[in-house]
Amino acid sequence: MDKIGELLRQEPKVINMGLEDFALNLKKKGAAVIHVRWSPPALGNDDLLSLLNKLK
Amino acid sequence: MFIRTHINKNTFRDSAYLMRLSSLVRGLEGVAGAEVVVGTDHNKKFLQAGGLWTEELAAAGTNDLIIVVRAFDLGVAEAGVKRVLDDLSRTADRGSHTGEYVPRSFETAIKQLPGANLALISLPGRYVKREADKILDAGLHLMIFSDNISLEDEVALKMKAVEKGLLVMGPDCGTAIISGVPLAFANEVHRGGIGIVAASGTGLQEVSTQIHSLGEGVSHCIGTGGRDIKAAVGGMMMLQGIKALQADPDTKVIVLVSKPPEPMVADKILAAAKECGKPVVACFIGGNPAKISAAGCIPAATLKEAAQIAVAVLRDKNIDPSGPVPAAAKEIIEAAKQKIGSGQCYLRALYSGGTLAYETMAILRDALSTVYSNLAMEGGAVLADVYRSRGHTVIDFGEDEFTQGRLHPMIDPTLRNQRLVAEAGDPETAVILFDLVLGYNAHPDPAGETARAVALAKEKAAAEGREIEFIASVCGTDSDPQGRGSQVAKLTEAGVTILASNADAALFVRELLRGEGV
Repeated sequence: MDKIGELLRQEPKVINMGLEDFALNLKKKGAAVIHVRWSPPALGNDDLLSLLNKLK
Repeated sequence: MFIRTHINKNTFRDSAYLMRLSSLVRGLEGVAGAEVVVGTDHNKKFLQAGGLWTEELAAAGTNDLIIVVRAFDLGVAEAGVKRVLDDLSRTADRGSHTGEYVPRSFETAIKQLPGANLALISLPGRYVKREADKILDAGLHLMIFSDNISLEDEVALKMKAVEKGLLVMGPDCGTAIISGVPLAFANEVHRGGIGIVAASGTGLQEVSTQIHSLGEGVSHCIGTGGRDIKAAVGGMMMLQGIKALQADPDTKVIVLVSKPPEPMVADKILAAAKECGKPVVACFIGGNPAKISAAGCIPAATLKEAAQIAVAVLRDKNIDPSGPVPAAAKEIIEAAKQKIGSGQCYLRALYSGGTLAYETMAILRDALSTVYSNLAMEGGAVLADVYRSRGHTVIDFGEDEFTQGRLHPMIDPTLRNQRLVAEAGDPETAVILFDLVLGYNAHPDPAGETARAVALAKEKAAAEGREIEFIASVCGTDSDPQGRGSQVAKLTEAGVTILASNADAALFVRELLRGEGV
């Protein structure tokens, strides 16, 4: 299946993580978008994060 | 003057929200300065330089928010800090800064948006790989705006994407336009028959806006991130992009934009371009055009020329790129030369667009004495301390060292503009060259902000009996949210000479400084 070709034939339907403005501006343009209110896993603790990554 | 500070431990908010919060507090009566920033080393240096530093802030880490308010009255400073804390607490329980409920994980989001086909990530770099893996495993294409991601992680993500037939645009991909939908920093440009694949965000913006100004438009603009053309990555996404545009019926002409790819990667890219059956214009800025011609593609020396050639090919007309410096500019150059005093010999070029900075270096490197920069280029010299210019200096404020825990300078031009004022205090500064990059998600009025900095810089130089020539280009269109025409008018009114493209601006500087500072 040509997934990239499919993306170019359709309009992008976007999941946005990070800067919320990116999602708001896409919405203003009429694009399908959903924003994720992301926060750092393991409360941003690097040791815990690396452990989580290994468990994945 | 009183300073009040607060460290909010383990608090995450996006940088655009923090910028607005800082600016809100700065606007309160009696407040002389305020910042709400992530506790990175870079931000700590920034606070020190701006007179907003107290020793207790040293305890803040990269997961903490620093709040600093300086005011003429202690009560005002304390009220400013409280205002920030109130806003942080008000937004803590809600899903969105606008108050709407939004999901807190990718897994929930994908259930709420059936048919989602692309994820756009602008998280701090160290968290990206984990999320990106989940996204690719779910079969979505990916655009990674974030930087500060290891090359090893980039290679792993792109290999996974190739295996699954997906696109990974980035890391450090600032711009893309897919089927007319602008992603991140894209401009509002006409739709049309020219498709672009670029390992260069502002390069893509400059080419697409120049195409727009020539009356044509773009089918799709695919960004790859600047490191895609390194040997380790092997041009994986450049090749995916070329293949996609080859198959796309709306794309009649393809433009490739990047710094010169490593030789092995250039061979692969040009071989794919040769086989694609559509005309391909390649702008490998500062690279050797012979290899491009040999592969049957059309080389373009500058971003503007890439747009001109693509439009000419699309219209089946002869290629007639404009000359190096428009004749009308000669008179302005002569007038500018009269302004500059004998001890003023150097260019200080302060960029928010990395590729635009690179293009300027490519244009200047053979004409001027050594050009120092935080960007690596053959024939250029590395600037040992990015906070201090030396000789002719070109700085890209979008490089990692300036963006850790801070917004990209196209959204927040504060650092660049502070430097612009500082450069005016150097008696050797002759010319200050800069860019404004407009478009979605960029600063709403960069010209207004920068015009104020130019006025301060002029005052500073005038107080010491000097005049400095300010030159700029404005990348954007009249359909962009900021409107190119009104942005150009503001800068012109501030006494800045505006050229029609970055290449024109660099060529203008080259003529102006030829023979200086050698």
